[in-house]
Amino acid sequence: MNRVTMPNVIETHDLTKKFGRFTAVDTINISVRKGEIYGFLGLNGAGKTTTIRMLLGMIGPSSGEARIDGKKVSAGSLDIWKSTGYLVEVPYSYPELTVRENLEAMRRLRAVADPKAVDSVMDRLALSQYSARKARTLSLGNSQRLGLAKALIHNPDILILDEPANGLDPAGIVEIRELLTDLAQNRGATVFVSSHILGEVSKVATRIGIIHRGRLVREMDATELDRERKRRLLLGVRDPSAASDFLSQKGFRATLAENGFLEILDSAAIDKPDNINSMLVQAGIVPFMLKADEEDLESYFLRVVGSAGGAA
Amino acid sequence: MNGFGSALWVESLKVRRSKMLIGTVAVFAFIGIVMGLLMFVAQHPEISGRSATLSAKTSAIGKGDWPSFFGFLVQSILALGVMGFGIVTSWIFGREFSDRTVKDLLALPVSRFAIVSAKFAIGFIWNIALAATLLAAGMITGLALHVPGWSGGLVWPFLEVFTKSAILTILLCAPVALVAGVGRGYLLPVGFVILTLILTQLVGVGMPLAAQYFPWAFPALVSGAAGSALPHPGPASWTIYCATILLGFLGTVAWWRYADHV
Repeated sequence: MNRVTMPNVIETHDLTKKFGRFTAVDTINISVRKGEIYGFLGLNGAGKTTTIRMLLGMIGPSSGEARIDGKKVSAGSLDIWKSTGYLVEVPYSYPELTVRENLEAMRRLRAVADPKAVDSVMDRLALSQYSARKARTLSLGNSQRLGLAKALIHNPDILILDEPANGLDPAGIVEIRELLTDLAQNRGATVFVSSHILGEVSKVATRIGIIHRGRLVREMDATELDRERKRRLLLGVRDPSAASDFLSQKGFRATLAENGFLEILDSAAIDKPDNINSMLVQAGIVPFMLKADEEDLESYFLRVVGSAGGAA
Repeated sequence: MNGFGSALWVESLKVRRSKMLIGTVAVFAFIGIVMGLLMFVAQHPEISGRSATLSAKTSAIGKGDWPSFFGFLVQSILALGVMGFGIVTSWIFGREFSDRTVKDLLALPVSRFAIVSAKFAIGFIWNIALAATLLAAGMITGLALHVPGWSGGLVWPFLEVFTKSAILTILLCAPVALVAGVGRGYLLPVGFVILTLILTQLVGVGMPLAAQYFPWAFPALVSGAAGSALPHPGPASWTIYCATILLGFLGTVAWWRYADHV
């Protein structure tokens, strides 16, 4: 089944939240289909967590609505939460309880019948060695793992995660990325994951939405991301002026960029830099540097956010 | 009630693992023992001879026999109970906000009504255990120190008054839970408890006729511990008292259910 034929699992319709005169989330429309990993990207304070809290019924919207599995979200939507796991902001656990006790408490609250679910999720999140440790003694990374374990203990079909990579070391970040990909690809789980780091989200998400100042300013498939990013060919020559004139005669517009390099945005040049090199050499202009450069993800993110009204 | 049993188990686990449990039991046991010791001192004025403070305390006890000791224990549970039971309730409800664990309780297959009810239930059990601790510690100390005037016929009426006083005081913790929610932590509810304690004293002393309309004075009026100078509670007192508890309980449920949990 392709994406279009998959049913929507998470939807928002003109979802809005105002706190007094401040609009934290402004008429957001999102749809996440079954099996998708939706990366919800935004700077700190953009409205990610408020949106997530509304998706989880922790905050009531000022207008609009959120739906999960077709059911309208509200504080009393108990059916929805049976199949939903979540993690909101920094996960906190009961400090005087051990890792195992915290998970046992969640197992009972989630009505998971199998007592082995606790051991199973500890294995999955590499927490077994800390099972007898009180939660207050855990490192930030292991607290994050415990938060994720609580979100996963009932093998949910829907996962809503707010900055799940916070506090994790690089190996932990890779593990979580692999875990989410596995859940989506092999178990058909739907994942909604927020982050303020595009580079992180782009490695795992199949679809990306960018929120800024409460508004959804961009939404795209992960494959579109490459097309959206600025690409250019950077050219280093001794005489930029002569090279620019020559390239202009050949139909390529070369402008002066940083550090005295020439910049060509023409995709024919970017895709075949060897042709440009040959032309220049034959004309007696020998480049000392030729580099196909792609805008990095964070620059792209800031550019999108900037065009939507400046970084916060 | 959806998931009440699970919620109750989880609440009991949190209480069993907390230092608050052993701490409050120790404090209530200590108070019971000190009460018994004061009875002993009242019987032996030579001990308190050099301390004016101690003399004042023991003279307030009365004759230093079992009837005055029973009265003393009832007054203790009425006054110190408000504080102790209130702190326990503040902790049960307020810690979820202070420890920022409340978000784990909001999107579960267990209803928020069940979560709140389980918290009230565990608070009631805990507070009853504290009242029993104070009673047992006081009685054992009194018996061990041979406080005079023991009579089997006095015990049952005393136990009835003590139990009634304890339960009526514990039930008044319902508004404390609401304040813990609105205040999102311990501080506001503890402040609220102190305020009710002060107001109860002020109303009892300064406006005795108004005491029957002040819910926190109600347990003392019903138990008779307030003395014959204060009016006996009538239907209006019962109505105000029950409405206060109901408002506290339903207000807490409504707050957990409908407030924005940001």
